[in-house]
Parts: sequence; structure tokens; C-alpha cells
Amino acid sequence: MTDTTTGSTTTAAYADATQVAGSGEVMIELDGVVKRFGSFTALHEIDLKVAKQEVVVVIGPSGSGKSTMIRCINRLEEHDAGRIVVDGVELTRDVRNIQEIRRETGMVFQQFNLFPHLSVLDNVTLAPRQVRRMPKRDAEALAMELLEQVRIPEQAKKYPGQLSGGQQQRVAIARALAMKPKVMLFDEPTSALDPEMINEVLDTMIDLANGGMTMIVVTHEMGFAEKVAGRVVFMADGQIVEVGTPKHFFTDPQEDRTKLFLSQIL
Amino acid sequence: MQTFLTEDLAVPPPEPPRPPTAGPADWVRRNLFRSVGDGVVTVVAAIVVGFVVFRFARFLFSTGRWEIVRTNLKLFMVGRYPADELWRIVVALTAVAFVGGLIAGFVARRHVVAGTVAPDQPVTRRLVALVGRLWPLVVGVLLLLFLSSSPGPWLTAAAIVVAAVLGRLAGPYLPRRSAVVLVLGSIVLAAALVWFLTRPVGWDRWGGIMLNLFLATAGITLCFPLGVLLALGRRSKLPLIRAVCIAYIELFRGVPLFVLLLLSAIALGFFIPTWLEPPGLVVRAIVVFTLFTAAYVAEIVRGGLQSLPKGQTEAAQALGLSPVKTTFLIVMPQALRNVIPALVGQFISLFKDTTLAGAAMGFLDALQVANAATAQDAFRGQRLLAESLGFVMLLFWIGCITMSRESQRLERTLGVGTR
Ligand SMILES: Nc1ncnc2c1ncn2[C@@H]1O[C@H](COP(=O)(O)OP(=O)(O)OP(=O)(O)O)[C@@H](O)[C@H]1O
Ligand SMILES: [Mg+2]
Repeated sequence: MTDTTTGSTTTAAYADATQVAGSGEVMIELDGVVKRFGSFTALHEIDLKVAKQEVVVVIGPSGSGKSTMIRCINRLEEHDAGRIVVDGVELTRDVRNIQEIRRETGMVFQQFNLFPHLSVLDNVTLAPRQVRRMPKRDAEALAMELLEQVRIPEQAKKYPGQLSGGQQQRVAIARALAMKPKVMLFDEPTSALDPEMINEVLDTMIDLANGGMTMIVVTHEMGFAEKVAGRVVFMADGQIVEVGTPKHFFTDPQEDRTKLFLSQIL
Repeated sequence: MQTFLTEDLAVPPPEPPRPPTAGPADWVRRNLFRSVGDGVVTVVAAIVVGFVVFRFARFLFSTGRWEIVRTNLKLFMVGRYPADELWRIVVALTAVAFVGGLIAGFVARRHVVAGTVAPDQPVTRRLVALVGRLWPLVVGVLLLLFLSSSPGPWLTAAAIVVAAVLGRLAGPYLPRRSAVVLVLGSIVLAAALVWFLTRPVGWDRWGGIMLNLFLATAGITLCFPLGVLLALGRRSKLPLIRAVCIAYIELFRGVPLFVLLLLSAIALGFFIPTWLEPPGLVVRAIVVFTLFTAAYVAEIVRGGLQSLPKGQTEAAQALGLSPVKTTFLIVMPQALRNVIPALVGQFISLFKDTTLAGAAMGFLDALQVANAATAQDAFRGQRLLAESLGFVMLLFWIGCITMSRESQRLERTLGVGTR
């Protein structure tokens, strides 16, 4: 433990989830967010700030509220108390706010959730055409560009059911990117994939992070966290237990629950 | 060593490897006479089937007296529609065939563009495929043509085929965005044709299988959108809408169709004010079929909606699609595709149930023609009901089997590349 000083400085710098790294401009702000399912409280007053272009990795045991937290950010779940602000727009009951935030926020799901009745190309062009009213030709040009970016342009005419899991997930990423979002949310994007396909998806995500996308990623791929994450957030029982750099989590986790959890996944 | 072991365990030794080109005798032995019990079942079944087939063939070709069908062919087809107005039916069928061809051509072109089917198959191959696909209809029409004793039906059939072919050839050249125009055009055309056909005679002299087909077509077209709306309403977040839809569905699923038809024929007067002219019987029948079948369609569609994983809606919402667009672009197409078999089953039911309208409301539909024909002077007391009913059965069977086969085809087309 020769590194203790550096370690603790890093920890100190990031220990507070409400602090922001880098430029300091806030992209996502969660302020005392509470989410209940009936009498069960899934999120207890979550505070988190994510800076522009920052990548935050969220880890934690099953049922700790990771999915619930990022699903609140684009209103797939409605939070019961607290504030959620995305790029200066606060999430309220107002449908226009919700739509605006959803337009700015891309989401990638564990189960891909591609539209099986539409071709890959139509999956990607659907939202730009229907929501942004982009002309078909432009939308298709954009889609092909994005499919190049996720390295599967040759699959454009196929249907999701004809692709491998890894390819499907990359289409899902392209589909989310087609809305030109400012924020990308990933909910365990590689958990449903066979091991040999995990890297192709992670590589796409790493490209995206290096391109300056603001990202919140729920994943237990610590290699990914190490490469691109500014901070790692450890959640348990609906609370943020510990926040720090990836290095902090590898070398110097503070809380017992963090240590226990890390010993299970590493 | 191995042989010894198998014998020791009293397991029959493995069959000796059969030559790869086993003959028919071998197939019979393996599939029909593997054991004594098998043999008995095979023989008994063969006797029963043989007897039924023999009696049926004899009825068809020898004992059956099909004169009753031949004489009354026009009644079976169009009821008492006036002979000198029959050209109107020819015009209507030709127009429908042309638009049908047009739509088929348009859709085929879109499939080629989308890359889901290979373009440019030789025409002969496509014709053979089409006849193979519609063979019950083709055979049925040919049978009717040979039964008829006048050139009229032949000319009609020729006009229909020519119109359909012309439409099919023109369809691919329609502009790319014609879908909406085609749909609206079809609706306008349908209304115009109904007006055109009822103008000289009103509804009163409609009859025969034409009436059954018309009731079914109208009922199916109208009940489908209503059923979809009811299904959506039943899942609505607004309690009032939900309650109304549930009440509607449960009411109509809880009463017999025949009773509804009778009620609407007899007792409609109780429900509408006296100063309002009550609608004609055919219109009432269409309304009853529509309302009744819509309730079933609603439940089928609701099943389809429920079978979709929640992730589909969530993905659409996450992309910023509005609830309406999510429903009609993402959820509904998948839900409907999943329930095509059940939906078409319901439509087939409706088609067959149109015979109930004849019984309840006194139309001279195909079934009532079959009854009436046996009471004609020429045929009275000759026990020809079997012939006459058999013919009606055939007419319905052709319609139903065609619907069923086309729905299977649709399922395959829509299922391209999906799990
Ligand atoms: N729709 C719901 N209704 C009731 N309870 C729910 C609902 N969704 C989630 N929960 C509960 O909320 C808690 C947090 O769930 P969440 O899905 O956010 O966990 P998670 O950290 O993503 O877990 P996992 O790693 O298994 O995905 C769990 O206890 C779960 O049972
Ligand atoms: Mg989860």
C-alpha cells in the first residue's frame, strides 16, 4: 500500500457523488431522488452529478437499484421525490419536458429491444424520421454512417432476428445514436451476450466514450471501467455507498460492502 | 462382446442396417404393419376410409342428382337479383378485381424495393405459383363455369381476370407514396359500388352466396378497426373508457349471435324513435355482425398486445416516440402479426355465420336458396336436400380455405427474418 496517499487524494477528490469532474459543466443532476414501488423504496435520496463528456460506471449487487436509477433519468420510471435535471431541463410531469429529455437521452438495454418487424436500417431511421422529422434520404445516410461507426454497415437490410447478439446490441447503440443524444444510458449492455461478443460491444462503447459522449453505464465489466470511466459509483440497497476513480476501487475501496462486492466480481 | 451383452439384457438386437433406398414395400411394413395391433388398426381404418370415400364418390358422380344445382345456379349465386341488371354485378366485380390487382402490384413492387423478395421471376413460373396458391378458388370457379349453361359467366370470369391482370401490371408503376390514396380510393370505390348495386332494386333482391360474401366482407372490414379500438380502450389508463370497453366486450361475448340477429330484425323498433326510418334488414345484419365480431376481435388483439415484451414499448419511449406513434408503429404491427391465425379464424367464423342472418331475417342467402330449391315444383319430394346443401357447403369451403391459405401466406411474408 505504497500508493495510499495518491489513493486517498483521488478518493477525496471524488468521494462526494455530487461533485463533478473535468470541465465542471453539469450534464445530469440527481438531487435527493426517491423512487418507491408501492411500500418498497428502491432509491433512497440519490444524489449524483455527471459532467459533460464524463463516463460514469455504476456497479452494485442485484436489486440495488442501478436500473431503477438510470430508468428514472429518461422517465421510464417516475421518481417520487427529488429533482432530476438533464442538460438544464428538469423532469416534471410536463409531457413536453419528458419528450425533450428523451430526445436528448439515448438508452441501450440489456435485452437489446430492437424492433423485430423492422429492418436494421428502419430500426435506426425510425426515430429521426418520426421524432425529428428528418427526410428519409437524410435519415438513411445518417443511419449508414452510424452503422459504419458500429462496424456493421453490411447488415443494414437484414432483420434483427437474423443477427447475432453482439450485432444486435451494436444496432441498438446505432439506433440510440441516431437521435444525436447528448447523453447515453447503458443498462448492462453486455450481460445478455456470449463472452466472445462482449468485446465487440465494449469496443464500440469505448469509441463512443473517447468521442466525448456523456455516459452512464451499468456494467460489471471492470476492464471497461478502467479504460474510460472517470468515476465508478457503487450502489447497494438503493443508496450510493461509495464513489471513486476506477483505480480507487481496484486499490483502495473503503466500505466493507464494496470490498465484499468487488471480491465477488473481480 | 457387445452382442453378448445385448442378448444378456434381453434387449432385441439392433435392426440390421437397411439399404438406403428402401422400397415402398419396406415403407408399408415399417409404417403400417409394424406389429399385429398396428396391422389390425391399419386394416380397419382402411376399410372405414375406403367405404366413406366410395360412398362419397358414388354420390358425387353417380347417385347424386345435380340437376337441382344446375337449374338454380343463378339463385345460388345472386338470389333474385334482376336478370337485366346483372351487368351491374359484372361491372362491380371487374372494378374490384382491377383495384385488387393494382394493390397487389403495388405491394409486390414495394417488397422488391425493400429487398424481401427476389424480383424478376419468369412469368410462367409466377402464374403456376399463383394457381397453386389459389387452387381451391380456381377449381371452384371452373366448376361453376362448367355447371352454367350460358356464356354470361364465362365472359364475366374473363373480364375479371383481364381486369386483375391489367391492375397487377399497372400497380408497380404507381408512385411510391400511393398507399394512402389506394386505401382511401378503395373505401370510396366500395361505397360507390354499394350504391351502384342497390340503385335499381334496393337490398330486397340481394341473395345467394353474393349476399353472404357481402355481409362477411362488410362485417370484417368494419369490425376490425372497431375491435382494435376496443382492445386499446380496454388497456386505457382512463377508468371510464376502460369500463365502457369492458362492458361492451363482455355484453357482446355473452349473448348468442342468432338472438342478436333476431332481436335486430324484430325488436329494433323498441330502441329507435318512431319518427326515424328504421334501417333495412341488410344494414341491420351488417351492424350486428360488426358489433358482435368486434368484441371477439378486441379480445384477440388484446391477447396480442399482452404477448409483447415490455421492452418494445420502453425502447420506443426511450427514443422519444409519442404514445400514439409507439402504439401504431411499434406495438400494433407486432401484436397483429402475432394474432393473424386467431383473427382469420374469427373472420372465417363470421363468413359462415352469415347463414344465420338468412335464417333470422328471411334473406334468400345461399343456405335459404338451398332450402327453397328443394321445394320447387320440379324438385319437390325428391329428397334432393343433400345435393343442394352439399353445394352450399362447397361454396363456403372454397371461401374459407382460401382465406385460411392466404392468411398463412401473409404470416410467412410478414414473418420474414423474425424469430
Ligand atoms: N416495476 C417494479 N415493481 C416493483 N418492484 C420493482 C420494480 N422494478 C424494480 N423493482 C425492485 O426495485 C429494486 C431495484 O431494482 P433494479 O432493477 O433497479 O435493480 P438492479 O440494481 O438493476 O438489479 P440487477 O443487477 O438485477 O439488474 C429491486 O428490489 C426490484 O425488485
Ligand atoms: Mg438492472
